[in-house]
Amino acid sequence: MRGSPAPLELEKNVARVAAVGETAPETEARRLAEDARDRVRFEEEALELADQVYRVARRMVSSREEAEDLMQETYARAFRSWKSFQPGTNLRAWLLRILTNLNIDRGRRVQRAPDMQPLEEGDYFLYNKLEESTQAPNPDEEQVIERLSQDDAVLALSAVPHDFRDVIVLVDLGDFSYNDAAQILDIPVGTVMSRLHRGRRILKRELAERALVNGGDSE
Amino acid sequence: MSGFAVDPCDKCEEVLQPFLDRDLNEEERALAEEHLSLCEYCRKRYRFEEDLRRFVRQAATEEMPPELKTKLAELRTPLV
Repeated sequence: MRGSPAPLELEKNVARVAAVGETAPETEARRLAEDARDRVRFEEEALELADQVYRVARRMVSSREEAEDLMQETYARAFRSWKSFQPGTNLRAWLLRILTNLNIDRGRRVQRAPDMQPLEEGDYFLYNKLEESTQAPNPDEEQVIERLSQDDAVLALSAVPHDFRDVIVLVDLGDFSYNDAAQILDIPVGTVMSRLHRGRRILKRELAERALVNGGDSE
Repeated sequence: MSGFAVDPCDKCEEVLQPFLDRDLNEEERALAEEHLSLCEYCRKRYRFEEDLRRFVRQAATEEMPPELKTKLAELRTPLV
């Protein structure tokens, strides 16, 4: 009996060997398998959102090439840091947060102070200008909007300063809430609202200028 | 008549954006709706604004090139 462990001690040793020598690799293997499964699921979900992310990205930068580069950088970073995404939160907003940060970090846009010059035009400005330029005596809103061309809309949007355009693109094109837009851009919700309001007015001013020039040419 | 204290069309223009963004309180919304039901001038401009948002959204939407989707898929971590 000398040197033999007591029965209770033996039981403890067996349990320790089982835990360390047998179940630990299994636990590690299970953990790795779960990690791989979660990563694959994350990557699939992120790729399913790529069309929607691209539509926003495309209007945050000036060319298709820039948008494509930015998308690739965004997805490369997202796939690398997938563990920092909290499941159950808004993945599309998370991807756009990465994209927006990359866009700023890489100096693809010149940071500038928001244009806070007062805008004299109100929210009816565009309608009134377009209505004046139609031939019909009492046009309805469909006749008025026909004064605009799709190319004008794209050019007018690109002429809106970045700080305002980003908010318009996220809320009006990307269907993000004010809160999501605030988180993506890392600005207060109140700033999102004021930039949106002002940005839409700038957009309407740009649209009016283009439509009136084109209208003049065609008449 | 509208319950707006100032010129109802000026006030209606002021609340155009928050109205369409559903960002008015109940009372403000009721006042705007009351005015819109009576005023064709503002009603036309509200409908135009809704159409305009759709128009800009449609015009500015550019679909992702299919080859980009392939490139993004290639960025996935390879399974070992």
